Amino acid sequence: MSKKSSSVPEYFHVDFEPIGRRVENNAGKTLLAAAQTAGVQLVSLCGGVGSCNSCRVRLVSGELSTPTREEQDALGADDLAKGYRLACQAIPLTDVKIDIPPESLTAPQRLQIEGQETFIEPDPVVTAFDVQLAPPTLDDLRSDVARIRQVLDDLGIACPVIRLPVLEGLSGRLRAQSWTARLVLRGDEVIAGLPQDSDLLGLAVDVGTTKLAAYLVDLEKGNTLAKTGRMNPQISYGEDVVSRIAYTINNEEGRKLFQAKLVEAINDMLAELHNQTSTSSEQVVEAVVVGNTAMHHLFAGLPVRQLGEAPYVPAVADPMDIPASEIGLALAPGAYVHLPPNIAGYVGADHVAMLLATDVWDSARTVLALDIGTNTEISLATGGRLLSCSCASGPAFEGAHIHDGMRAAPGAIERVQIVDGEVRVHTIGSQPAVGICGSGILDAIAEMVAAGVIDSRGKLQKDNPLVREEDGVVEFLLMPAESAGHERDVIVTQKDVSEVQLAKGAIRAGIEILLEAAGVAHDAIEEFIVAGAFGTYLDIRSAVRVGMFPTLPVDRFRQVGNAAGTGARQMLISAERRQATAEIVRRVEYIELTTHPNFTNEFIKAMSF
Amino acid sequence: MSEDLLARITESIVGGEPESVVALTRKALESGLQPLEIINQGLVAGMNIAGERFTRGEFFLPHLLIAAKGMQGAMELLEPELGARQQVHEAVGTVVIGTVLGDIHEIGKSLVGTMLSANGFKVYDLGVDVPKEDFVARVKETGADLLGLSALLTTTMIGQREVIEAIVQAGIRDQVKVIVGGAPVSQAWADEIGADAYAANAMDAVEVARRVLM
Ligand code: B1M
Repeated sequence: MSKKSSSVPEYFHVDFEPIGRRVENNAGKTLLAAAQTAGVQLVSLCGGVGSCNSCRVRLVSGELSTPTREEQDALGADDLAKGYRLACQAIPLTDVKIDIPPESLTAPQRLQIEGQETFIEPDPVVTAFDVQLAPPTLDDLRSDVARIRQVLDDLGIACPVIRLPVLEGLSGRLRAQSWTARLVLRGDEVIAGLPQDSDLLGLAVDVGTTKLAAYLVDLEKGNTLAKTGRMNPQISYGEDVVSRIAYTINNEEGRKLFQAKLVEAINDMLAELHNQTSTSSEQVVEAVVVGNTAMHHLFAGLPVRQLGEAPYVPAVADPMDIPASEIGLALAPGAYVHLPPNIAGYVGADHVAMLLATDVWDSARTVLALDIGTNTEISLATGGRLLSCSCASGPAFEGAHIHDGMRAAPGAIERVQIVDGEVRVHTIGSQPAVGICGSGILDAIAEMVAAGVIDSRGKLQKDNPLVREEDGVVEFLLMPAESAGHERDVIVTQKDVSEVQLAKGAIRAGIEILLEAAGVAHDAIEEFIVAGAFGTYLDIRSAVRVGMFPTLPVDRFRQVGNAAGTGARQMLISAERRQATAEIVRRVEYIELTTHPNFTNEFIKAMSF
Repeated sequence: MSEDLLARITESIVGGEPESVVALTRKALESGLQPLEIINQGLVAGMNIAGERFTRGEFFLPHLLIAAKGMQGAMELLEPELGARQQVHEAVGTVVIGTVLGDIHEIGKSLVGTMLSANGFKVYDLGVDVPKEDFVARVKETGADLLGLSALLTTTMIGQREVIEAIVQAGIRDQVKVIVGGAPVSQAWADEIGADAYAANAMDAVEVARRVLM
């Protein structure tokens, strides 16, 4: 109950989960008002009049006003019984705790950095020893390194290796630190000599084709100190992996350039992370970088040509440890960057990290996990088997090849509803609409199918009042110019529908082929994990409605955010988790769709609605 | 009865029921209809309707793919029969088609092939991941008037140029017109590599094929 002691409290506390925002809400005000005060971005398509169900939330504890007529209509008895309410209608009567389902939450930040925090016992690959060295005197002329050897020898650590980049700074440091140091060891190598009691930090990076995410982690405590994201600077050289590979084939300097661009962007993010946490690059003694196979290769400076031509083999699939100094990453001079193993040319270390983070790989249950991008990687765990494939879904959900498509940024339509012939949209940041992002186009198509605007083969129905024909082009008006932020109509064209059909068809076909290979029926899928940026924001119900995902009860789906980033963080703080990746790649049965006799059939089937 | 069967084959093609296309074709053969009749009055008639509707914007890719699937399934039954009866298809032209080396995208290429054959072309489909030597050899062997090259990857488009260079070297460039297509391919690319034409989709490919042979 609120702290006020009078009989009628002036306000109640509203606790919004899972984001952990707590706010004082004046008595009599709705949950939506509370969310607005808290800066919690709830989707509210109908503008808070209770006619849509986009602001659906669940009461965890406390008491709310009795459900209104609108809520009864929009939610139904089942949902109400489970505690679901409309935030625009429900008014707290006590302090309450509210759970916001992901589909009701719209975050302004659309960099792919959100992911679950890891609860892994830290056991990093580096260890630190606070030591006191004997200073040199005229009677003791041993070298600085000999002194380090001595103290380590006393600790029972024999003959450490100290590489040149570490040696360069060490002598000055030892003197500046009055012959004390925190020696950081990685295997039999001394990789840093920090001031005593310094925190040991690590960097985890997820290099996506489109987005980069970086996390600064306390290696000994295991918690994430700060995170940030950037667009992948290689984008201007090609939207997808294959175009970038083509660029390196046609431009000799391309490979070096791409590596340099990545390293520069990561260094940039590092600087920002240090700023946020008042830490320094010398403390960052280990890094883990994950990415798809092409990003992995480009980061490491490996050739990628063979990834762009059949049969698409990686140059390296084994895990690697690269000295950070060799590629110009601004970490501690002796730090290493760990690159986990790849599975195949189009199933990379990022997918391995995702399987690790979600525990799919050693699940005793039947779990399907996928990460939707221009290439969608899919894995199925069942009966002790682990099957994976990669399907080329194309860039439709990144907004590419869509008439008014855009990336998820302010002003992008991200939610669409068609209610009684009226189109309602919600944009990122609630700004005037300027285009449609992936979750928006998915919603739009799902709603158009439901409203009979498109038929089962994807044809726009000209006789539908929402469809118009202009200069022979048939299109659906999503947002008229008057209401749009750029004073142009925002439309969905017939070609947009086809693009979505190709993308969702390819994804569904991949899912079907894995299920078929394992002899698993849809119904047997106990959990369906959706990872990645688009996967975080898409509306599961829309994905099911367009047939991209099989029809399963909604509670079997789990949207996990950037699981690849989470996996990278786990590998950063735990040597054991790192080793588990070897087991993952050993166990994966990779299903090659390119030669699969059933792909085309499944694909054509899955293109329909 | 037999006319009824042919009309039903046509309907099943247009209606997108590939299984019944195949079943009806089998029935038609059993009832003594000639393979060529079944092809021309049943299958091709259906593909033409589907193609026209596609061009008019009434049909979309899934319609066309499903129609083509029916036609392809039926042709698998009919080809051996044609051979056995030594019947030949009167052709408006002979086409060798395939997806270039390193690329296994087959759906678009096959659709183009099916539409061409539905429109009276004799089509030799070499499949996917086809080495340039095979294109050259098959063009020589069949005396083809047209060579169709499909590529779906930015990295394999270059294969189209290599095939063209190979037919120049083989001294048969003058005998055959080259059409290129596939999602990353454009008119500009076709011009750059010295192809005779570019086609944007399967129906366009039929138009273009007719045009370059005129
Ligand atoms: C001779 O004259 C002509 C004239 C016109 C011609 C013509 C020839 N050829 C085509 N046309 C034209 O007419 C046709 C009919 O109207 C049209 O043909 P299309 O082929 O364009 O259209 C077809 C009817 C339908 N379209 C398609 O069939 C392609 C659809 C998408 C989803 C696609 C599919 C289905 C597949 N793929 Co692939 N695949 C993608 C595609 C992404 C997308 N959203 O479009 C694309 C093409 N694939 C891509 C990639 C990268 C890959 N694929 C691969 C594999 C596959 C599958 C096996 C999964 C499957 C192919 C199955 C098969 N047997 O064909 C891999 C490589 C395969 C290989 N060895 O070549 C792999 C390398 C990666 C992977 N994840 O496995 C991308 C290429 C990117 C680029 N910049 O080059 C891609 C755009 C998806 C993406 N990730 O962005 C026209 O182009």
